[in-house]
Formats: sequence, structure tokens, C-alpha cells
Amino acid sequence: MRTDSKFVRRVLGAPKYLFLLFFVLISVGPMVWAFLSSFKTYAEINSSALSLPGSFNLKNYADAFRYAPIGKYFLNSIEIVGLSVAVTVCFVAMCAYVTARFRFALKPLLILLISASLMLPAQAISQPLFAIFKELHLYDTKLGLIIVYSAMGIPMSFFVMTSYYQTISTALEESAYIDGATFLQTFVYIILPLAKPGLVTIAMLQFINTWNEFYFALMLTSGDTARTVPIALNYYMGTFANNYSALFAAVVVTVLPTILVFILLQRQVMESLTAGAVKG
Amino acid sequence: MKRKMICSMLVMSMTAALAAGCGSGADTGGAAEPSQETAESAADSGDKVVLDVINYHVGTDYAAEYYEYLFSAFQETEEGKNVEFHFEEIPTTDAFNQKIKLLISSGDLPDIVLNGGNNITAMAAESGKVADLTPYFDADPEWKSTFDEASLAFNTVDGKIYGVPVSKEISYIYYNKTLFEEAGLEAPETAYETWEDFFAACDTLLEHGITPVSMDTGDLGWLSNLWYSALIGTEGETGNEFMNTMYPTDYNTPEVEAATETLQTMLSTYTTADAIGGKYDTMATHFFNGEVAMLPNGPWMIPDIGNTEKAPEGFYDQVGIMLLPEYGMEMVPTPGDMVGATEPEKIEAAVAFLKFETSAENQLKGLEMAGLQPVAAEIDIPASLTESDPLMADVLEIQSKARWTYGQNQAYWYQNVIDTFSVQLPELAYGNIDAQQFCTLLSEAAQKN
Amino acid sequence: MSNKNKKKWIVLFTLPCVALFCLVYAAPILMVLYTSFCEYTVSTSPVLKGLQNFAEIFRDTDFRVSVVNTLKWVLIQSTFHVTLGLVMALILRRKPKGWKIVRTAYMIPNIIPTAATGVMFTLLLNPTFGVLKPVYEALGLDTRYIVNLFGNSRYAFWTVTATWVFYAGFNTIIFLAEMGAVDKEIYEAAVVDGATPWQLDRYITIPMMKNIFGTCVTLASVAMVSQFDIIYMTTKGGPGNATLNLPTYLYKIVTLENNYGKANAVGVVQIALGLTLVILIQRLFRQKRERKEG
Repeated sequence: MRTDSKFVRRVLGAPKYLFLLFFVLISVGPMVWAFLSSFKTYAEINSSALSLPGSFNLKNYADAFRYAPIGKYFLNSIEIVGLSVAVTVCFVAMCAYVTARFRFALKPLLILLISASLMLPAQAISQPLFAIFKELHLYDTKLGLIIVYSAMGIPMSFFVMTSYYQTISTALEESAYIDGATFLQTFVYIILPLAKPGLVTIAMLQFINTWNEFYFALMLTSGDTARTVPIALNYYMGTFANNYSALFAAVVVTVLPTILVFILLQRQVMESLTAGAVKG
Repeated sequence: MKRKMICSMLVMSMTAALAAGCGSGADTGGAAEPSQETAESAADSGDKVVLDVINYHVGTDYAAEYYEYLFSAFQETEEGKNVEFHFEEIPTTDAFNQKIKLLISSGDLPDIVLNGGNNITAMAAESGKVADLTPYFDADPEWKSTFDEASLAFNTVDGKIYGVPVSKEISYIYYNKTLFEEAGLEAPETAYETWEDFFAACDTLLEHGITPVSMDTGDLGWLSNLWYSALIGTEGETGNEFMNTMYPTDYNTPEVEAATETLQTMLSTYTTADAIGGKYDTMATHFFNGEVAMLPNGPWMIPDIGNTEKAPEGFYDQVGIMLLPEYGMEMVPTPGDMVGATEPEKIEAAVAFLKFETSAENQLKGLEMAGLQPVAAEIDIPASLTESDPLMADVLEIQSKARWTYGQNQAYWYQNVIDTFSVQLPELAYGNIDAQQFCTLLSEAAQKN
Repeated sequence: MSNKNKKKWIVLFTLPCVALFCLVYAAPILMVLYTSFCEYTVSTSPVLKGLQNFAEIFRDTDFRVSVVNTLKWVLIQSTFHVTLGLVMALILRRKPKGWKIVRTAYMIPNIIPTAATGVMFTLLLNPTFGVLKPVYEALGLDTRYIVNLFGNSRYAFWTVTATWVFYAGFNTIIFLAEMGAVDKEIYEAAVVDGATPWQLDRYITIPMMKNIFGTCVTLASVAMVSQFDIIYMTTKGGPGNATLNLPTYLYKIVTLENNYGKANAVGVVQIALGLTLVILIQRLFRQKRERKEG
């Protein structure tokens, strides 16, 4: 048995690294390609996909900032996406907890509604949303987009979080109740710390889902106040005048900081793997 | 009890923090806005007229600089000195049209509605949310007379003029003189007499290993569309009439089917392998790099031809222009800018801007800065242009030699027909459908409207 | 805890979500449902018309094709894609050499804006100057006949699929988080009993993932029911209708036909299809029974 499994492990080991290498390549490749392309001229980008740029000057980066208010929109994106992540995580942490733990009359309806909203086509809801937002003075505000993005993020986070809570054993809560802890105390002091990896995960999902959102950002804003990076990228796609070089420069400038955010967040998730036992 | 209170407070503070978070989002939103806010309030109290404009000529758009100039120059005129613009920028006509449709539907159109095509004029007019400009044209016969009948008719819905046409769209063929020489061909002075002559030249180019024509299917198949329009538009009176008709619904006519068959041959034999699925920019670059001999397009491409970032040094001198075979030229009036304002003084100011935009001086400026062809026929082209931009001068000269003028599908056909055209082109090119089936699909799409 | 007390907390805890939901979705959902039975265009207000919109779309070949394509993508995504995410998580869980680089790298494609991804794939797969040219040259094949992956309807569906199907980073992090929550004592006990790593995964980790696997399949299916951006950026649903799915079909009705009523009828079908899938998948992966509160 033992030698057998060792042998199996060795044989399995090599393909494993090939597997990982393949996925690292296809994941990092696009970013490297975008980075190289950000130095290419219009002619280079449109006539050869694989050649290196003729020179490494920063002209395209200057163009990226000249054609579009990329800096301002980037800060807007950070603020809007950041707050929507916070709202979603807080709301879902609470909502998913009671849904995972209790039966209540309206629960099936709640789940049905949440599921339905996942499929709502953006084009179909932009019209009524636009009218409501105008009425409530949420049109062209950051708050407006934060609200929409948070709502958009709830369903997905809700599913993930409900499932995560179900993995957490109920024994700890039960003993807390026996010790006389209230519902809220149990939630705040016992459940939330245990749920941290799940919460970080939904934070990351929410971030990914809203960071590149274009349609609502276009429909529900009218000026620089609340516009986000995806809109800025459209500035390089003019009629008969695409400037892909500037586009990729802008992509590099905006994506690199977000990768950093991800590295930090992921450290949190992985900590949970090392943190050891979740006592049952 | 105490514990419970602490806990409740915790949750409350959590919620409060959240609310504050959202609030601060809104606050900073407000704080970043003062320029607009104050501009508006000043206008309300003072004598400034604030006009909302949604501008899609931004970023890398070919006319971005021209429009930037136009708006600021207007504010220096007598009529414009009290006008303040409040801009919403929407890069790309695709995004612009999406938003404009939303605004038409909700009734929140900007005061000046720049026109991005896409049948916006008819929709806006039907919704009753844009101003009827007929009285303003009637009150200023001199202004009205600068526009030709066709251009005004193009912007008229139910007998009322809603749009002010600002330019004309024309297109013809750009060809690479060097490649023609290499193939031992002499390019015609103005155009190939017949399509047979044209295809004979294409065959000669092919024999010398040169790809004859640029085509595409992505981005609505702009280049293929120009060839297609020419094939139909020069096919006798019937074909020409078809290409000058708005919203045709029957494409199974002999002319269209014949043109489709020719287009199929062109796609499979006379163009680059990446034409199918490819987009304009790639095709333009093939042309700039001397890989393709002929490309149909309009005057807005001229600045790119002389731009050394896009085309090699000296390329400008290698390029000549000719009309399409049988002396055909695409010429369509452009869908004109509209007025969405409702208050009389705003309408007044918006019309003043549109008059400024179509003044002889600015039409010339538009020609120089963005290759926009003057809509007015009687504008004198300064001699200096011939020296600074000989290609542009050629363009102005060659127009009068056209025997056939016709429209192109992006101006005259239903939106979904244009889309069907571009997504079915690859199917046609690979022989998955034949010319007749292709035309039937176009007809079916048109009839959905 | 008393029952009344329990109720209070349920209400308090669900309220924020529900309120936000109503604000954003209540009116739109009703509006979509109602106007799907109306004649309603860009320039006209909705007028009740009965089932006409539905009749029209059900007669349309493009509609049928888009339903089939949508389901194909749902199937591919909920099997291959989710499993890929799981396999990656199983490997990374053991922290092989370089695992930190892998876990970060694998998330990157998710952050790159779709606008850029679309341009990138179009250029990379260009048949005259893309990645395939050197491959053909190396194999000694005629470069004039390089396959046109986006342009030819024979390959377009799979090409478009390939732009997303390998990027399962999303699922990987969900699985990793869930794996972190598995009680370590179970593993310790199993190791003491002489279980091999493969046996640990096979008999402990994977069964424990059943619940979250169901969630991932749900999310993947739903994502495919509403997949739009990258398709629009690369093929616009073409060539022909090779890559048309429900959202692209709906988008075309909105932007090209300007027919909101008909588009919302497609929207209703899309929601119905999605809900059916969600319910079916939940049944299949029968969620763990909720704890009965005592």
C-alpha cells in the first residue's frame, strides 16, 4: 500500500506542476501581453500580435491620461466598489446567517426573489431604475451606483455565504446559548470570527463583479462625479479611431493596483487554511 | 441586560458606520461637483443660459478636437456669450446611442442632441420630445438655403424638420499607387468604367501576389458595406434607386442578389484572410502597411494616412483616390443635430449654436480638422488647402465627377438589417449560405420592424 | 431564546437586504413582467397586448438557437469549469511549491476589463498575424489556410467558450474558503489511520464540498444565463447565430429593433429559465437540512 501510494504520488506529481504551470501561463499571459502592447504603436498593435514593441517609451501612458479622466475615474471606482463591497458583506453576513440557521415563513419567497434578481437582464431594468433614481436624486451620484452594485452583489454573495454558514458547526452556538449568551452576542463574538474566510471570499467576488461593470455606470451617471474605470476605457474606442495602445496602457495602470488588493485579500483566505481547526 | 445593550449598540454602530459610509460617498460626490452646481445656480439667478449637451466626440474620436473648438468658439460669439454648456461626455457612438434611447424613452433629452445616427431622428421625433425646427428654418431663409433638398428631407419626419444636418458623408476608394505600379497597372484617372475592368485589375494584382481589396465583417462590416452599396447602387436605375431608399424591406431583388454573389466572391478571393471576423482598424493597418491595394472609405481617414504612428513615413504620397467602378460614389446626408430643450430661451440658444455649427466658416474648419464634408454646396475651398492637404483637395474635386450617387446601409437600412448583414457575411463567405439565402435573411430582419 | 425573540432577529437581520432589494429590484421586476405583455418601444408607452411578444419570439429561429446555446454554455460551465475550480483548489490546498504565485495569478484574468479582453482575443486569434501563424509555420502547414477561429461559424462557439472556460479562479477561491472550514481533527484522525493524501481528498474533502459545489454550479449556471460582455465584444452573437445566447438576443432586440416589450418577453424567459435551473440544481445537491432552532 505505502510504496504503491508513493509511486502514485510521484507519477501524479509531475503532471500536477505541468497543470499549474499551464494555468499560470494562460492567466498571466494576457496581462503580460497587455503590458507589452501598451508600448506598441497603432501600426504595431494592428499588424502583429506577437512581436515586441519597437521601443519602450511612455507615450501611450501619457495618451491614456490625456484622452480620458482615468485618474479621477479610478478613484471613483475605488470608492464606489469599496463601499459596495462593505455594504454587501455586512448585509449578506446578517441575512445569510438567519437563512442558513432558521426556518421562517417567508424564506422560500426570499430565496426565490434573490435567485430571480440574478437573472434580471440589465437592459430590462435600466429604464425603471433610471426613473426611480431621478426621483430620489440618486442619479449621477456615487451613492446611486453603490446602491445598485450592492444589490447586484447580494444574490451571489448570499448563496456562497449561506453555504459557508452551513459548514460551521452549530455546537459552538448551542453551548453559547446554554451559557446564557444572547443571539446578538453569539453572532458577533462566535459566528463572525468563524465566518471570516467566507466573508473575505464574498468581498473578493463582489469586487470582481462590480469592478468592470459598464452598463449601469453609463446609464445612471452623467458626469465625472460618479463615473468609473470601465467608462474611461471607452474613451479609447472612438469611431474610426481606436487607440488600443492607450487602452492597454490604461488597463495596466488600473489593473496593477487591484492585483495588489487581491494579494492582500487572498492572504486572508489562505490564513484560514493554516489557522487550524475550526472547533466543532 | 447590560451585555445585551452593549451588543445592540454594537450592531447599531455597525449599521451607523455603514450608513455613514454611504453618506460620505454621497457627500464627496456632492463636494466634487461644485463647478456644475454653482454654474447652474448662477445661471438660474443671472442671465446665463445653461445648455445640457451630451457629446460623443470625445477621447480618440476623429472629431473630438473640432467639437472642443466649436463649443468654446461659440461662447465667444454675440449669440453665445451668455451660454454656458453643461456637458455629459459619452465616448463611442454605441454607448451614446444606448443612453440617448433611454433618454428619449424617459423624456430627459439634453438641450442639444448631437446625432449619432442609428435612426435616432425618427425615434426622437415620434416621441415628441425634440423641437420642430421648421419655424426657425423658415424665419431664416438665408440659413435654410445653405442646405440642399436631400439633406433637409433626410432630417424631416412627417413634414417637420427636426435635425440640422452638419455635414455630408461621402466615400470612394483609396488606392496604393506603389502596389499598382508593382502589378504594372495604371490606375484610372477617375474610376474604372465597369466592374469588369475593376475585377480584371484585381486579378492582375492577385497574380502579382498583392491582395486587391480591404473588407471586414466586424464593427457592422463597414468596408464590405461600402463595396456592397456600390455594387447595388451602380446596377442601373433600379439598383441605384434601391440604394437611395430609406428602410427597404425586400432584398430579394435581382440587383441585390447579384451584388451579394459578387460580394461573396470578393470575400473569398480578393481580400485578406482576416477580413472575416475582422474589424476596421486591422484592415486599415493592412492598407497602411502596403499589404492591400484598395480600401473604400471617406475623407475622415485622410489625417490617419498622414499620421506616421499609423502609416509609414511617406505613405501619404503613395495614396491616390478614385471613385467606385462606373463612377459611383456613396453620398448621404448626415442625420442632423436636434434640439431637446423645452424652454423658449434654451431652444433659442440651442438653435443659435446649430446655426454657428453650420456657418460657412465652421464647415470649412470641420473639413480641415476632421475631414467633415461641408453640407453646403456653395462653400469656397481656399487654395491653401490644396497645398497643405492635396488628397483632401482631390476629394473635393472628384465629387463632381460621380455619375451615380447612392446611400450606404448604415445610413438607410434598419438597424437590425445592418446587424444581420454583418453577422451573416462570414456565413456567406464560407459558403454556408448562398446569395439568395443571405438576401432572404436581410428581408426577414427588415420585416421585423 | 423565545420564539418571539427569534422572530425579531430574523426580521432585523433580513431587513437591510430586503430593503435594498426592494429599492433596486421591486419596480423593475414588476415592470419587466408587465411590459412583456405590452406593445412598448423606445418612442411609445406600454400598451397591453397579451401574448403577442411571446408568440413572436417563440416563432423566431434565432430565439431557439439562443436558448440552445445558453443551455450548452450552462452545461459546460457547470461541469468542466466548476470541476476545474475544484481541482485547482484541491491542489493549492496542499501548498505545493509556488502555490502563492499560482493562487494570485489565477485571479488576474478576472480583473482585466472585458473591453480589453475582447480586443486582446480578437488580435491574438487573428488568422493573418495572430498566435496561430507561428504554430502553422512550425508544423509546416500552409499559412494561407489558418483557421479563422472567431470568423468561422464552425469554430466560433468553442472559441468564445475558450475565452472564459479555463478561468475558474472564482470557484477556486470559494472552494478554498470552504476547505479552510473543514475540521482539521478529521484529517488528523484519518492520517493516524494511515490514509493517503488521495484518500483524504476522496473520502473527506470532496464529500464535504458537496454543498458548496452545488452553490458553485448554481452560480456558474446563472452566470452563463446572463453572459454577455465578452460575446458582444468578440462576435456579437455571430457568425450567423453561432454564438447567440439569450442576453445577446435580448440586447439586439433592445438596441436594434428598439422593441422593449419583446425584449422584456425574452427577459421573462431568461428569468424563468434561470430560476428553473437554480431549483433543479438545488434539488440535485439537496442543501444540508437547516438546524431546527430549539
